Amino acid sequence: MKRSKLSTSVAALTRRSVLATGAAALAMPALTGRGFAQEAVNVGVIVPLSGANAQFGINSRNGIQLVADEINANGGIKSMGGAQINLVIADATSNPTQAATVAQRMMSQDNVVAVLGAFASSLTLAISEVTERRGVPLLTMSFSDQITDRGFQNVFQIVSPGSQIGAATFDFTRALAQEAGQTLEKIAIMYEDTAYGTSQSAGLRKAAQDAGIEVVMDEAYPLGITDVSPLINQLRRSDAQVVFPVSYLNDSLLIVRSMRQQGINIPTIGGAAGYIIPDFREGLGDLADNVLSISPAAYDQAPDYTERFREKFGYFMVHEAQEHAACMGCLHSALEAAGSADHAAIREQLQNSVFDQGWATVMSGGKVEFDEMGRNIHASPLMVQWRGGELVTVYPKEYATGEVVWNS
Amino acid sequence: MQSITTFFQTLIDGVLIGGVYAVISIGLSLVFGVMHIVNFAHAEFLMLGMFIAWFAWAYAGIDPMLGAFIALIITFFIGMGMQRVLIKPIIGAPQVAQIFLTVGLLFAMENGALLLFGADFRSVSTSYQTQALTLFSGESGRILVPLDKLYAFLMALLSGASLWFFLNRTSWGRAMRATSQDPMAAKLMGINTDKMYMIAFGLGVGTTAFGGAVILPYITASPTVGSQFVVLMFTAVVLGGLGSVAGAVVGGIMVGLIQSFSALILPIQLQNLTLFVIFILVLALKPEGLTARRRS
Repeated sequence: MKRSKLSTSVAALTRRSVLATGAAALAMPALTGRGFAQEAVNVGVIVPLSGANAQFGINSRNGIQLVADEINANGGIKSMGGAQINLVIADATSNPTQAATVAQRMMSQDNVVAVLGAFASSLTLAISEVTERRGVPLLTMSFSDQITDRGFQNVFQIVSPGSQIGAATFDFTRALAQEAGQTLEKIAIMYEDTAYGTSQSAGLRKAAQDAGIEVVMDEAYPLGITDVSPLINQLRRSDAQVVFPVSYLNDSLLIVRSMRQQGINIPTIGGAAGYIIPDFREGLGDLADNVLSISPAAYDQAPDYTERFREKFGYFMVHEAQEHAACMGCLHSALEAAGSADHAAIREQLQNSVFDQGWATVMSGGKVEFDEMGRNIHASPLMVQWRGGELVTVYPKEYATGEVVWNS
Repeated sequence: MQSITTFFQTLIDGVLIGGVYAVISIGLSLVFGVMHIVNFAHAEFLMLGMFIAWFAWAYAGIDPMLGAFIALIITFFIGMGMQRVLIKPIIGAPQVAQIFLTVGLLFAMENGALLLFGADFRSVSTSYQTQALTLFSGESGRILVPLDKLYAFLMALLSGASLWFFLNRTSWGRAMRATSQDPMAAKLMGINTDKMYMIAFGLGVGTTAFGGAVILPYITASPTVGSQFVVLMFTAVVLGGLGSVAGAVVGGIMVGLIQSFSALILPIQLQNLTLFVIFILVLALKPEGLTARRRS
């Protein structure tokens, strides 16, 4: 903003004053010191900090904060005169209407260059309506296909869309079963009826049908379910060989516990979210061991980076923190390349660059590149397994850091 | 198609969860019955009870079933204090004022908990959490009784019975019932009605906190957990008849059974829809609740 104002006024002035202004401008950073010369760059962060998804929102914020602090400590955005990153953090709550309102306020009051968020797909969908209207880039790690299905120009999804994650969950599981000498014939799917659960289970179901495998149980249940025994009773009757629960934390604890209670020990392949956070292990203790889950990213893929998170916050870098950090990394590179706070210029850079520097490299494949739909073409889901309080990548083979334990 | 074992399994699950709904609803019903105040913040005491029991478990290794008594005692005194400071001024006030106060209290408690305890989900791990009794095992399947739910149910039964005993067999209970029926007459008979109100509110929220603590082995505690239960609680209470302890028990068990059987026939997503359809039917046909006798 400041920069463009300066150049228009310059055009109207005489040569002498141009030189004078130029000299003054050159001298300015030396006189005033760093941080004062350039206005800080406002980056919007909208994540759920209260309500049912607060823990995920806090993790996300921590990841973004870590990267922003590192950028600022290393001299800010160099192409913008060392401008510091200023995170404008807002609570999306767990309610889409509220998330949209917060986004609206952020657009009109805080002059943000881009928005990061909002963990839950339903929240991200609501926010994307606002950012799209305003032409503000939105970087997200929400899975739902809908986010990038609508032909929006300004939304960038750093992870594989839900249907692909769902399909990979099934394909990887079948491959792992095969390696262990088991042929899958019957599977069970249970999912919460949110945007995330529905889109991921759809991919899972389709992959199973394509492979000609019978889905003997296919049940949606409401978010905030208090008693899962009907689900588990049905699972017991269904005779499935593996079960795919797609849920956030509370339901995931209930499901695994009730399964063990009823003596069901078939391989359990979670759908990310609740299955790959430290609370899952804390809630279940040793019962968590060997539970598998799909994950859009895993911290054991880039320990050089992710261990910094553990050092600062005291727990392993959960995937939402890692992906949000990668979003921030991409935005950092885009800002450096654009050299301005102009939304269109930043969007242009996000659309056309290959991000293979800094925090963008923590995603699988070590780089990020967005296609026309705004999807990261290098994103690949990973299969992880709990092993004594840590997550170990077990599939695909080229990313694996450990062997799978398959108890059929 | 559905075997007899499935039927009994569903029945057992429904009764076990319903018993817990009953206990958390008794408190609400008691508060309404004695003070004629609809306490929208009531489910927040369930949350408080869960947190107290969780802290007792995490820092002192106390099993939630015993921690429930600590929760009961602490929330009893918190409840008494709260009644004195906040609820007392609105007894007999216009209903709008009562609604504003208790709804405000709900938000204050929920967000206070968020500030104090953080947004983490807190869960206990106990040995019986993953165990179940096998009641029957045969060709048509098995009937299991999950231990965590059985214990919670038994504790619920215990607290319900104690409350019944207190209300019907002690002089304090009689005084409380008198206060509920006619505060003025009770006062003339030498009953300290202010004290009765305080005790009733303390007991009401304490019982609910107790119910919250005993379900901790199978429900994760978080500041927003109350919102999962608040509607079920009100449904149970109104279904059975507002203000009656026996009504809350009947209502609670009915809610559990309806949820459980609905999930057997319809998709589980629709279990609360079924519940509310039945609820509306009951309200339409017998608006004073299932257990209430028609007033002359």
